[in-house]
Amino acid sequence: MEHRTRTLFNRSFSFVSIASIVLMSLSLVVLLGPIFIKGSGAFVFRGTVEHRKLMLDRFGRGDREAVGIEAARADAARKPIYDSLERFDALLEEGDPELRSKYAADFEELKGLVQELLGPAPGAPEPALLRQQYGQTRWDRAKIKLHEILFVEEYDYSDPTKMGVKILKPRVDRFKGTSLEPVFGQLERGVVYMMRPRLTCYSRFLFDESYDSHFFGGIWPEMLGTIYLALGAMLFAVPLGIITAIYLAEYSGEGHFVSFLRTCISSLAGVPSIVFGLFGLAFFINTIKISPSKSVLAGAMTLAILVLPTVIRASEEAIKAVPATYKEAAMSLGASKWRTILTVILPAALPGVLTSVIISMGRAAGETAPIIFTAAVSVGKPLAVWQTLTQPTPALSWNIYNLATEHQAVDEIRHVQYGMVLTLVMLVLILNLSAILVRARISKRLRA
Amino acid sequence: MNNERRDFNAPLAKPSAKARADASGPRGMPLIRAKDFSVFYGSKAAVDRVTFDIQAGKVTAIIGPSGCGKSTYLRAVNRMNDLIPGCCTSGILSLEGQHLYASDVDVVALRRMVGMVFQKPNPFPKSIFDNVAFGPRIHGTVNQGELGDIVERSLRRAGLFEEVKDRLGDNALGLSGGQQQRLCIARAIAVNPKVLLMDEPASALDPRSTTRIEDLIGELRGAYTIVIVTHNMQQAARVSDMTAFFYEGRLVEFGDTEEIFTRPRKKETEDYITGRFG
Amino acid sequence: MQDQLVISKGARRFRRLGALLGHALIVALASSSIVALLFIFYFIVRDAVPFFRLEGFKEFFCSTHWYPSREPAEFGALSIFVGSALVTLGASIVAVPLGVLAALCLSDILPFALRQVVKPIIEMLAAIPSVVYGFFALVVLAPLIQAHGGSVLAAGAWMVLAPIGLVAVAVGGDAASARLPRRMRTSGRIVSWVILAGIAAGALVVLTGALNRLVVSTGTNALNVSIVLGIMALPTIVSVSEDALNSVGRELREGSYALGATRAETLLKVVVPAARSGILAAVILGVMRAVGETMLVWMASGNSARIPSPWFNFLEPVRTLTATIAGDMGEADQVTGSARYHVLFAMALCLLAFAFVMNVVSEYVMRRSRKMRG
Ligand SMILES: Nc1ncnc2c1ncn2[C@@H]1O[C@H](COP(=O)(O)OP(=O)(O)O)[C@@H](O)[C@H]1O
Ligand SMILES: [Mg+2]
Repeated sequence: MEHRTRTLFNRSFSFVSIASIVLMSLSLVVLLGPIFIKGSGAFVFRGTVEHRKLMLDRFGRGDREAVGIEAARADAARKPIYDSLERFDALLEEGDPELRSKYAADFEELKGLVQELLGPAPGAPEPALLRQQYGQTRWDRAKIKLHEILFVEEYDYSDPTKMGVKILKPRVDRFKGTSLEPVFGQLERGVVYMMRPRLTCYSRFLFDESYDSHFFGGIWPEMLGTIYLALGAMLFAVPLGIITAIYLAEYSGEGHFVSFLRTCISSLAGVPSIVFGLFGLAFFINTIKISPSKSVLAGAMTLAILVLPTVIRASEEAIKAVPATYKEAAMSLGASKWRTILTVILPAALPGVLTSVIISMGRAAGETAPIIFTAAVSVGKPLAVWQTLTQPTPALSWNIYNLATEHQAVDEIRHVQYGMVLTLVMLVLILNLSAILVRARISKRLRA
Repeated sequence: MNNERRDFNAPLAKPSAKARADASGPRGMPLIRAKDFSVFYGSKAAVDRVTFDIQAGKVTAIIGPSGCGKSTYLRAVNRMNDLIPGCCTSGILSLEGQHLYASDVDVVALRRMVGMVFQKPNPFPKSIFDNVAFGPRIHGTVNQGELGDIVERSLRRAGLFEEVKDRLGDNALGLSGGQQQRLCIARAIAVNPKVLLMDEPASALDPRSTTRIEDLIGELRGAYTIVIVTHNMQQAARVSDMTAFFYEGRLVEFGDTEEIFTRPRKKETEDYITGRFG
Repeated sequence: MQDQLVISKGARRFRRLGALLGHALIVALASSSIVALLFIFYFIVRDAVPFFRLEGFKEFFCSTHWYPSREPAEFGALSIFVGSALVTLGASIVAVPLGVLAALCLSDILPFALRQVVKPIIEMLAAIPSVVYGFFALVVLAPLIQAHGGSVLAAGAWMVLAPIGLVAVAVGGDAASARLPRRMRTSGRIVSWVILAGIAAGALVVLTGALNRLVVSTGTNALNVSIVLGIMALPTIVSVSEDALNSVGRELREGSYALGATRAETLLKVVVPAARSGILAAVILGVMRAVGETMLVWMASGNSARIPSPWFNFLEPVRTLTATIAGDMGEADQVTGSARYHVLFAMALCLLAFAFVMNVVSEYVMRRSRKMRG
């Protein structure tokens, strides 16, 4: 090849490989972007008067008087709507069968939707479910509901070669010529006065219990469950991991046992996480019956086995990185092996060990598969410490899955899902960041 | 740490010359005796059947080209070689008449009695105080006052006290190389050993620090039996009373320093001293 | 003074006993990993065996009829195995080239300061929990693919193929013109560039046109999972291969540079071959990560136990071993002891065996590479 071509090839090779790095970084941005943007919507959003009523009723937060006044104003704005609906209802009740057959179904649907938007009419009997006792608490959800009221989704199947095409039809067409016709306009124009959106910072999202399967409230039980599981896993994994690391770094030679041990550790690291889950179920729960059914304890122990190899490897590396001269110095002063390890080697290896512990903790906090069968439930109260021995817990990771796939109203609680994802991501990233900082700080101190 | 604020200016009872002499045995008596002593790494003899006696209270220099087994011999004296897998010995190496490789020797007690200073200064990443107090602590001194006394005394002996007395709590790694090495010497003498082994203690230091270390060795002479390995012929001539010349694991010549440097009996010694090899 | 140096027989025995006990204790504790692994094997095998005893091997491995809740139940898991293989293949296609290139970039091309910036990005990608990737795939990516599947694919094709095409055109044109006599070279180069660029652009346009016309019936499909799984496997591949590349000595690189090789030539002809076992190990570890991943595939693969037709149709939903275990255990749990419960352990056993074999292979490869390096 000619020299020019080679140079060109060289340049383009660099270009392509830098492009791969850019692509990788971009994927991180694409991944975290929506999570950060929408996740913050769980904490800061435009809350409606319904949100403030809920906060007052359930958590006793807010100024009773101010909320009362606001609610009264909102009710005043809503009154024409309720009145129209009631009048139309009465009209149908009167019993013109033709009118009934024509409008009954559509009217019921409309009534239901309006109730979902605004909440039950004043004076109506209180519905059973909490979510039916309040209108939309978030302005973004309220706008979506309003859109649902104003337009009917229909699918056009006229072209058999294509899938159904979605078309939107104004709902008002269904009530042409009735007394309900102006209601739609009133709703569209007056919704701001009916809902009274205001920028709200719901910082207690992290620390509130959830109400009515996450329709309202926060994610404290999940947070607490995740914390219990991660700390519990560390409780088992750290002592074992560090002792194994000490053994590998300081005691073992190169015998068969050690190479077998190393193979086992790396195999353990390669076991798929779901297999850990099955093992936890088969061993901790079905065989030794560590708890009557799923429990935080069983989950933490399963997670501990999962992170054990990580702790061992990183700690061993940290211990091996301690200069041999420290050991020699201690030995030459007559320190026994244990003394040397405890007073010189471990303190010097501390930054590395601590880093590994923190990173493993992040891993334990984020794992889902191992806790599905051993520790996680979808709904639960925050546990007291002693309850962790016997009771299962909700956890961020599991509930993200659960709310995003199995919840009865997946779309209506997107903000909660995003909020949970953001919380989990932040938790893990903060742990990782603090690991980096710890390492930097302590190693600076050690090097002076 | 509250002992930083201790009153270090209070007069301290210096160990009397007599006490020191007692501690290190009668001067001029052989303290460390090697008889047909060899050290093997695997099958290779790094020290090959050496026989010589080191006198109590004197400074003995071991010189020789690189790889001739000086360090190996030195490390054999406090059994630091035990740490190296595949290392074994034959012959006799005794301290005060006790064969060191007998099965009933307490290595911890031996190392307490035989301190060591390494080529590169290796203070622990702890405070200056904790560095010096490390030895006494592991040997059971827990009383803070006592520890403070020991630390001050050792630092004074090592000629470091005045420089660091205001920052005993600071990290030892913040000291200069020369200061670190003197700290290591202080750390070694804090357990009150009889023998101090020094493996090229100044080779990693600048000339000024080297001089200070040499002066220090001069000051410690008599109080301790010092065995120093050095590459530097002038240094050996300056600081030592006796000199042993090692070559390829064997002891070629051993005698008064002055004699070795002025009237070497062996051709190899002369060649080495005059710089013809090594 | 001798009595100080010598230790009494009793004390020596006591001390030796203490050391022995301490050693025994530490060995026992250090063996916990061995015990854990053996227990995992034992308990998975113990609960997998009843399945094979009840249902035999043939149906499980050879049939595609997966109807565990029917009466009589059918446990043909072939399509599930294929599903696992398919998403793993897809993830490898995404992650291996990208990961190895990124590792090369990190080890040899980027300046030191930039490396320090990129490292945390990789660490973050590795730290993000798999359920978060799953959520992203399900909630963000799947609707996007479903609504604009063709265009998304076309954009992806552009993103990957355009730079490569550009490079190929530039280098190819240059190389082609090098054969020409000297005086025609400049014009020849331009002509060949234009011709090649035309061909490449034409091919790309045709390809994107075809992709644009594709109709995607569901966003939760093998493609979605493969992309995200690839990104998840990236950090493993990048960091392990970077280690391998870094452990190729400076001397080798300098030797090559001294012979006048360019950086690309040095990397491709000297460094990568020297590090190939390490890179292979990296790929194996990445594949293991992909095979064992649960949450992402459970959430975003569509969970349909059918072999796509044709088999490489990534736009169809698939179902994997891990997702089946996670999803079916909930229902099987209540009937511990049924074939439905044990079949999941049989699947776990397959996963475990695969992971174990892969791990041993990667260890062997790594050890060999270390030995080769001396
Ligand atoms: N840990 C060891 N393992 C094997 N051989 C060693 C070891 N340490 C030193 N040696 C060998 O023993 C010989 C003497 O080494 P040493 O005592 O360090 O020499 P020096 O006189 O330079 O201090 C050298 O040939 C060296 O290669
Ligand atoms: Mg030496």
